[in-house]
Amino acid sequence: MNPSPSSRPYLQSEVIPETPGATGLAGGNTEARDVVLVREMASGDDRALGTLYDRWHAVVHGVVARVLRQPDDIEDVVEETFWQAWRQASRFDPARGAVQTWLLTIARSRALDRARALRRRRESPIEGDDGEVVVEQAAASDPGLDAEATERRQIVTAALSQLPAEQRQALELGYYGGLSQSEIAERTGQPLGTVKTRMRLAMQKLRSQLQILHSEGGP
Amino acid sequence: MTDGMTHEAASEALEALALDALDASERAEVLAHVAGCAECQRELAALERTSNELALAAAPLAMAPAQRDRIRARLLARAGAERAVAERAFAEQRAESSGPARPSEVVTLRAPRRGMGTSAWMAMAAGLVAIVGMGGYMSARRERDALRASLQAAQAERGVRLAAVDSLRATLEDKDRMIANLTGAQVAVMTMASQSPTSPTGRMFWDQAHNAWTLVAHRVPMPKSGRTYQLWLVTPTAKINAGTFMPKPDGEVMVRATMAMPTDSLAAVAVTDEPMGGSAQPTTAPMMVATAR
Repeated sequence: MNPSPSSRPYLQSEVIPETPGATGLAGGNTEARDVVLVREMASGDDRALGTLYDRWHAVVHGVVARVLRQPDDIEDVVEETFWQAWRQASRFDPARGAVQTWLLTIARSRALDRARALRRRRESPIEGDDGEVVVEQAAASDPGLDAEATERRQIVTAALSQLPAEQRQALELGYYGGLSQSEIAERTGQPLGTVKTRMRLAMQKLRSQLQILHSEGGP
Repeated sequence: MTDGMTHEAASEALEALALDALDASERAEVLAHVAGCAECQRELAALERTSNELALAAAPLAMAPAQRDRIRARLLARAGAERAVAERAFAEQRAESSGPARPSEVVTLRAPRRGMGTSAWMAMAAGLVAIVGMGGYMSARRERDALRASLQAAQAERGVRLAAVDSLRATLEDKDRMIANLTGAQVAVMTMASQSPTSPTGRMFWDQAHNAWTLVAHRVPMPKSGRTYQLWLVTPTAKINAGTFMPKPDGEVMVRATMAMPTDSLAAVAVTDEPMGGSAQPTTAPMMVATAR
């Protein structure tokens, strides 16, 4: 069946030696352009949707492929992610986060919906457990990610890399695996209370580490 | 509160709630508490922002070009279709409106608030101009695109209607010709005689002015499998093939042919039973025949 969930981290965990300072995150032109694109989408400009897709499809694809394994499912969910963005563009609020974060939140949510539906139909185990697909995909990562997005990503991966392995595992199984705490406990053989504590501590540390993404309005 | 969950217990579950990692029953309990607790609402909002940022850790993953383009094309097609529907609905709504102008075309200017400096007012005015300008541009562009789509649709519809008119005109002309072929001043009518057990009856109308031949017959039996009927124009020196035909299931026949022939040359008109595809010369005795006078 499924190998141990600790056989592969769901989240990128490379160590970033130095976390960029807050000054490096301010005044992002990329984000401003994204916000304009979303505004244009809200006004019915489908060319803006095309541009947003061109900019972020690889990133959205990366998130979706972390949750799902079947190419057809991945393709469907990538499309549905951008389609939901198109339909909900008028509701986007830049004060609540960056466009990239908004898109990826949609992507993760849609991907987990699909993964849970597949699980209910017993057609698929929890996706991404064997790591094979992810290793191949990581090798094909898009080098064209712009500096601003790369910086945001580095901050998050650096924060994750600083978590103890067992805390990161609890976080990963919940975030990309779509498992509840009791499911994680069952799966890892850990007491439920332990899982809860690990997840809580992990989130508290991350929250502290990622303040930089919010305090300056994001990169 | 009657939710059964203490503030302490709920606040300890907020991290898992932000990650959507609670079981359904516990999630419902925590949400019930959060709904009435401002402190937990603030805390949850902050944790959800943290949770959302986790997606940034996933490495970008290039798609195969074909897959990438396929998704893009589908998205733009869906968006375009949706926009077209919305614009059509808008156009219909506008057509139904009795007002001389759309609300978006009416810009109400208000005096600046008291105490606003000139520069602030100018900045606001500039902003208004920019907004109106951008809105006007987008509106104009959408209208242009909608009009273009409408024009294309109208042209397509016009093409379909023109084709239908042409088809009707051709049918009408054909019927006119047929009436002329049957009733014209130079139409010779020959009554067909038959020895067939079903006693088919028929007439041949020869429009000598237009070299048109029209055979109308009734109660013509269906030929056997692999067989057909063949029409012959018989002169003193030849039996001229005028084509093969099959009766309708109800035995009705209408055959039209065009063939020039000197008025005095026709000796008879005959119909024979022939192999499918017809014969160069009759191979059976006529099942119907009319003699020219």
